[in-house]
Amino acid sequence: MADGYTDTFVEVAETNLRLLRGGQGEPLLILHGAGGNRGWLRYAQSLSRRFQVYIPDHPGFGKSDQPEWIASVPDLACFYLWALEDLGLSRVRVMGLSMGGWLAAEMAVLCPQLFERLVLVGAAGVKPTQGEITDIFLLSPAELTAKMFHDPKQAPEYEQLYGAQPTPEEQDLRTRNNEMAARITWKPYMHDPRLPSLLRRLRMPTLIVWGREDAIVPVNCAEIYHQNIRGSQLVIMEQCGHVPPIEKPQQFVNIVSEFL
Amino acid sequence: MDVYYFTEMPYAEFPESEAEKFPSMRLTFPNTYFDPRLASELFRRYLDEYQYAEEVGFDGLMINEHHNTPSCMDVEVNITGGILARITKRANILILGNLLPTTDNPVRLAEEIAMVDVISGGRLISGVVRGIGVESWATNTNPVYNRERFEECHDLLIKTWTTPGPFRWEGKHFHFRVVNPWMVPIQKPHPPIWVPGTGSPETVEWAARRRYTYAAFLTPLEVAEDLFKLYHKHAEEVGYTPGPEHFAFMICCHVNDTDDKAQEEGRHFLWRMGHPLRGPQAYFAPPGYVSRIAALMTSRRRPKPLNQLSYQELQEANHLIVGSPETVIKKLRHIKERLGIGALLLEAQAGQMSHQTTMRSIELLGREVIPALKEL
Repeated sequence: MADGYTDTFVEVAETNLRLLRGGQGEPLLILHGAGGNRGWLRYAQSLSRRFQVYIPDHPGFGKSDQPEWIASVPDLACFYLWALEDLGLSRVRVMGLSMGGWLAAEMAVLCPQLFERLVLVGAAGVKPTQGEITDIFLLSPAELTAKMFHDPKQAPEYEQLYGAQPTPEEQDLRTRNNEMAARITWKPYMHDPRLPSLLRRLRMPTLIVWGREDAIVPVNCAEIYHQNIRGSQLVIMEQCGHVPPIEKPQQFVNIVSEFL
Repeated sequence: MDVYYFTEMPYAEFPESEAEKFPSMRLTFPNTYFDPRLASELFRRYLDEYQYAEEVGFDGLMINEHHNTPSCMDVEVNITGGILARITKRANILILGNLLPTTDNPVRLAEEIAMVDVISGGRLISGVVRGIGVESWATNTNPVYNRERFEECHDLLIKTWTTPGPFRWEGKHFHFRVVNPWMVPIQKPHPPIWVPGTGSPETVEWAARRRYTYAAFLTPLEVAEDLFKLYHKHAEEVGYTPGPEHFAFMICCHVNDTDDKAQEEGRHFLWRMGHPLRGPQAYFAPPGYVSRIAALMTSRRRPKPLNQLSYQELQEANHLIVGSPETVIKKLRHIKERLGIGALLLEAQAGQMSHQTTMRSIELLGREVIPALKEL
């Protein structure tokens, strides 16, 4: 158990799933975005002081198997409900980042009784009424990275994550992530037209966190989530881009910890 | 060996410097540069050239389809196929091809192709293609399913042409309650199927297993040889030995009265080799469009992209054959003998090459080059 977490495979929902797991306490499931699982970063380490944190590679991403039947984000949501059952988890706190936020919202509306709290961070999933969700598949990796941050210099792990040229193995994983992301989010791009209506079913405590300068998913989407999820809290982080947990981990952890 | 005339029907009626202001001349180059009245004149001229190609002795006329690009105005090969079917009498009409993965209605496609075959009196060759990556963007078809959709669309086309209707189709990507089109092809069991390729080993195998003609597009000769060898191997596996009729080769070609004149006019092909191939990688290789194996093989096979080759290098690599009839005959004979192909596809108009120059090239090809290639 290096650095307080394990990196193992679990057989859930008839799928071999890679899972990072660490910490003690109530379960906190963290769902990664279209770029894949960035690993056990500072924010996860901090949150693991209070929670048992689970960060899986989604099916078809990273090192997890790819079941043939998963072709959409709602499919992925069905997968995770099954997986949580197999892991014996209930009353879960779930936090989704970007595409993972969309996924978390789909899971919550499918089975609200399973979730204690919901955190949506720069979440895709709803169509903005102003602006567009950036088409990440049209961008080169360098262009995409540049768009994700407001100011990379304030991201303490930036060098570690983006500083070096990817190894062939990393490149291969990146290709795989990109393919799976395209498979499940291509059309309608990065949103589910049903979702705003379904969100109105939710009663669970929900926190919506967004970077004011998010250049991937417009802040307008944060407002749409906020309007449709009754009693939700909205926190906009100033001077911050699409990935608050990486760009401003300390501030992000403070905001989220208070809510969780 | 049959010789085919081909043009992408380009719209090159704007300064090249305009195209350079944008990341690519494909997909996102604004269509405000398009003048439909000019396009109308261009279509008239290109169709006249096709007609003339038949008249002077070409065995076949090839057309293709692309979207969101001035490099190819043909956005529906079955429309131009239908026109050629009516304005020509003898030549094969080679559609190379219909974009299968980006269609949402393979039954409608089967009808359209059948109609071209019927109007032409059975002269149609029905090529099928996966389409370049840009087409996935232009039609917003998920590129991850490109090969799956290609294969399922193909299977449904063939079944629609060969199985008496009505029948039902419940596939993965396509679903039809009643498949029973009135319009079916003249040619039985169905028009010949051709498939183009530049390197995907999966495509070679797919074609070989079905005895379809495989057309190597603008590849170096040694690559075409490799691909044809691979075809032979897969053909033997399913129990037949392929002949010349299973192989075609596509290159660019310009003939003029003298080598000098031809060299001067042949430079119009640089527009075609340059702009349409420039652009962000994501345009040409959207996620999942190219298999990882194919990507590896393609990079090995064509070390330098076509748009980075000089005029001289394009000619040395046999992507572009330019010269007097005598020069061109020599070079094309060499290609014919080396590759053992049954069909040579000559893209003989490009960029801003004028009508007059194109007609002269077609004439010399038809009256001098083609007869010489048919000797032996």
